[in-house]
Amino acid sequence: MKIEGEYLFDGPREVVWEIVRDPDILATALPGTQSLEKISENEYQGEMQVRIGPVGGLFSGRVVISDEIPPESLTMTVEGKGKPGFVKGTGFIKLSPAENSKTQMQYQGDLEVGGRLASVGQRMMDSVSKSLLKQGLDSLNQALLARVSSAESGEVVDYEAPSEAQFAASVAKDMASDALASRKVWWIGAAVVLLIIILVIVILSQG
Amino acid sequence: MKKYIGERIKRNEDPRLLTGQALFVDDVDLPGMLYAAFLRSDYAHARLISIDVSEALQRPGVVAVYTAEIMGDEWQPGPANVSPPPTVENITFHSRTQLPLAKGKVRHVGEPIAVVVAESRYIAEDALEDILIEFEPLEVVADIEKALDPEAPLVHDDLDSNLAAYMVQDKGDYQAAKTKADVIIKRRIEIDRGAAAAMENRGIVANWEARSQHLTVWDTTQAPIPIRNGVASRLGLNQTQVRVIAPYIGGGFGPKMMMHYPEEIMIPWLSVKLGRPVKWIEDRRENFFGTTQERSQVHDAEILLSNEGKILGISHKFLHDSGAYDPYGLTIPLNTESHAAGAYDVPNYHSELTVVFTNKMYTSPIRGAGRPQGIFLVERLLDIAARELGIDPLEIRLRNLIPPEAFPYDREIIDQAFALLTFDSGNYKPAIEMAAEKIGYEQFIKEEGPRLRAEGHTVGIGIIPFVETTGVGPYEGARVNIEPSGKVTVATGVGTQGQGHFTSFAQIVAEQLGVPVSDIDLVTGDSADFHWGTGTFASRGAVVAGNAIHASASIVRGKVLKLASKLLNAPEEELELEDGFVRVADLPRLSISLGDLAAEANPLRGAVEPGTEPGLEATAYFGPKSGATAFGVHAMIIEVDQETLMVEIKRYVVVEDCGTVLNPLILDGQVHGGVAMGIGNSYYEQLIFDENAQLLNASFADYLIPTACEIPNIEVAHFVTPSPLNPLGTKGAGEAGAIPVPALFAQALENAFADVGLEILEMPLSPNRLFELLQEKVSQP
Repeated sequence: MKIEGEYLFDGPREVVWEIVRDPDILATALPGTQSLEKISENEYQGEMQVRIGPVGGLFSGRVVISDEIPPESLTMTVEGKGKPGFVKGTGFIKLSPAENSKTQMQYQGDLEVGGRLASVGQRMMDSVSKSLLKQGLDSLNQALLARVSSAESGEVVDYEAPSEAQFAASVAKDMASDALASRKVWWIGAAVVLLIIILVIVILSQG
Repeated sequence: MKKYIGERIKRNEDPRLLTGQALFVDDVDLPGMLYAAFLRSDYAHARLISIDVSEALQRPGVVAVYTAEIMGDEWQPGPANVSPPPTVENITFHSRTQLPLAKGKVRHVGEPIAVVVAESRYIAEDALEDILIEFEPLEVVADIEKALDPEAPLVHDDLDSNLAAYMVQDKGDYQAAKTKADVIIKRRIEIDRGAAAAMENRGIVANWEARSQHLTVWDTTQAPIPIRNGVASRLGLNQTQVRVIAPYIGGGFGPKMMMHYPEEIMIPWLSVKLGRPVKWIEDRRENFFGTTQERSQVHDAEILLSNEGKILGISHKFLHDSGAYDPYGLTIPLNTESHAAGAYDVPNYHSELTVVFTNKMYTSPIRGAGRPQGIFLVERLLDIAARELGIDPLEIRLRNLIPPEAFPYDREIIDQAFALLTFDSGNYKPAIEMAAEKIGYEQFIKEEGPRLRAEGHTVGIGIIPFVETTGVGPYEGARVNIEPSGKVTVATGVGTQGQGHFTSFAQIVAEQLGVPVSDIDLVTGDSADFHWGTGTFASRGAVVAGNAIHASASIVRGKVLKLASKLLNAPEEELELEDGFVRVADLPRLSISLGDLAAEANPLRGAVEPGTEPGLEATAYFGPKSGATAFGVHAMIIEVDQETLMVEIKRYVVVEDCGTVLNPLILDGQVHGGVAMGIGNSYYEQLIFDENAQLLNASFADYLIPTACEIPNIEVAHFVTPSPLNPLGTKGAGEAGAIPVPALFAQALENAFADVGLEILEMPLSPNRLFELLQEKVSQP
């Protein structure tokens, strides 16, 4: 599976770089991450809870950073394995300064997915991974904003990472809007609305 | 005399099936039974560095865990299902058979690596997660066309390349014909993989009884006798120590003919090893990875024609994807070769088959077994030729049919049975005319089609004739016995997976013995009842087992007449068998029931005459010299929804010629099922693999099979050209329904989109794919 995209961070490149290279922040920003330890300068090890549609479970994996040119670019090699299958891939991240001391991130990756994750989760894979990535980058941006504003004000501004439930809710929302965007499944929306109405009636009648 | 053969009789087995009284493998429940679960590879290609089962063994309820390593010397590769053709010169064939458990490396996703045996399936499945495996992922051979690249990784490290087999077949002189051709049409034709998707998955229960030194195996196999022989040989037992029962089975369709799947060796072995009954039932996900698949082939095809539309030659070089192993030999590609000239008189034929290993589940025949690919090829080429020459598609076919006086017609190539392919009999033209008449071909082309199109409908028509080689040897056998109760018991070695054998075979016996079909009890696929045979495959049940049953019943009839003649004091010619009695034709009061006669034939005192046998029983065998060739025509009218590109089949007509019809009701059902499968193959079912040979749609949520809503009302008519090769005159029909459907779909769609010049060179299609093809046409007309 190929992943490719861009993201605009609301802060200068050096700070974005710091955040990307901070395992503690990364751990809170990557949805479902239960632990992420730095085991050497360029190597992290951790566990991550992944759920794609009907397939879910704990992955244990390793992230290796290589070809690092601070604060410009790096290559990330990911290897994960767990009950639902395995993930293996490399990603290339490039940061370039943008206007108004913002930072443009370009990323591209090639992900090999196997096991149940591939064979049963495939249908949801694309939208879920896009959504996870977006949520993750949004969280990083929040962390970035917190750091930038504390640097400016001198006060420590707490960055609160989103909970796993919040992530799940966002993913569900993204997937639903994906589905609703396609005209042919407008009826899913209609069915949901109908279901809610029925539920309300049932609850009211019981009350 | 009352006729039974050819009667539309309701199925004997249905009351049991419909009331849940029939035994399926999963119904077998034995005291002390253990349950097995297999750990399967998530990788398509990876080296096994280490396997740690210690934690799994500690889980309460786990009885044993085995890997190839732990099996030690008892681990050995599975036997080949079919050996390569011995009669062909200059053939390359590398036999690499499936393994009971992977050793050293895994070669496809789903390959079993370890087996856990536990007190329950739940515990066994949980324990699979306790097993720790270190893999070293390897480069993957996913693409059939890239498999032979010099740089391609090797599926089998001991071979120089991924070439599994190579073979050339020639008839006439294709190159010489090419110099004389007016028209040469060249196309690349691709057909992709699908699953058989039987309603019942595979399942095996094995029970080793140490005290009697006897093993009983219940197996969802189409080949109970060869399985018994293979299991006995693998376990070092006498064949008589092993009983294999293939009970009622929810659909075979070919993959259950694949012999000695890893689980088929492992479960009996485990039962003997552990001294307890062991059960394994495949789940649907396992079925997508661990049960054989079929159809992927890529053909570079060429057809030579005269300006009059006469075929001068056909040539095709093709790649066949065998997957990780090739236990089923060359059956599928040889079937494609046998059918790539269709029902036509083709004087020059050249074919080169190349079989490659890939990191996918291995292939074996699925209903049609290479034939749909062959028919698709020749019919596509003919449709393109018809357009190029400005000849009507039906007309170009009529000009090329093998004429009735040409039978037996020699194809001059060898078929899947390694014998020279000869079409035994046929009368093709009237059957095609019958189908054209029924669907209203002329009328649709001239009036209805244009009228509907003018009203804004996208409609199309197709008509495709096809041949099917059926009823190959080597042999089947049967035993027929009249019981003192007057009931008749019949046993044959072929298994049954829903074909209606309990009725159609009973009709063959009834015809000889004059006993109502409901009084005939048939046992199929139980080696304790009959232990010679090869199996239910290649549309051979009605031909090979049917004629063996006919032969046994005829001998029993002879015994009945001889004994009754003595007892009734009447010459044999004056006796008739009807309603369970032998009567003197002119004196119906002089009669004896078959039951009483059976009792008389097995006396408690006195002497049985020398040279005779007790009872009214006979065992006989039938082995045809070569297969019988069936014929058929399918025609349909479709309407395509312009917005969704879904195809609605407005009418579907089948004319089937499978020789003598035993039971038209059952035959119609077989044809319906085949057509449904063919529709799946054409517009719904496709196994999608990514570039790492990971299967991406391994569930019925994503792998679409057509449902009752998508299957049209199918009108079946019969045309009868009996086979001269067997006494009943039967030809097979089990696979027929599925064979021409992809070719028919392509033709009807091209007819519907003739205005944009749609050309279809691939199968399966889907609304998405059709959309893409149409877009291509619109953007580059």
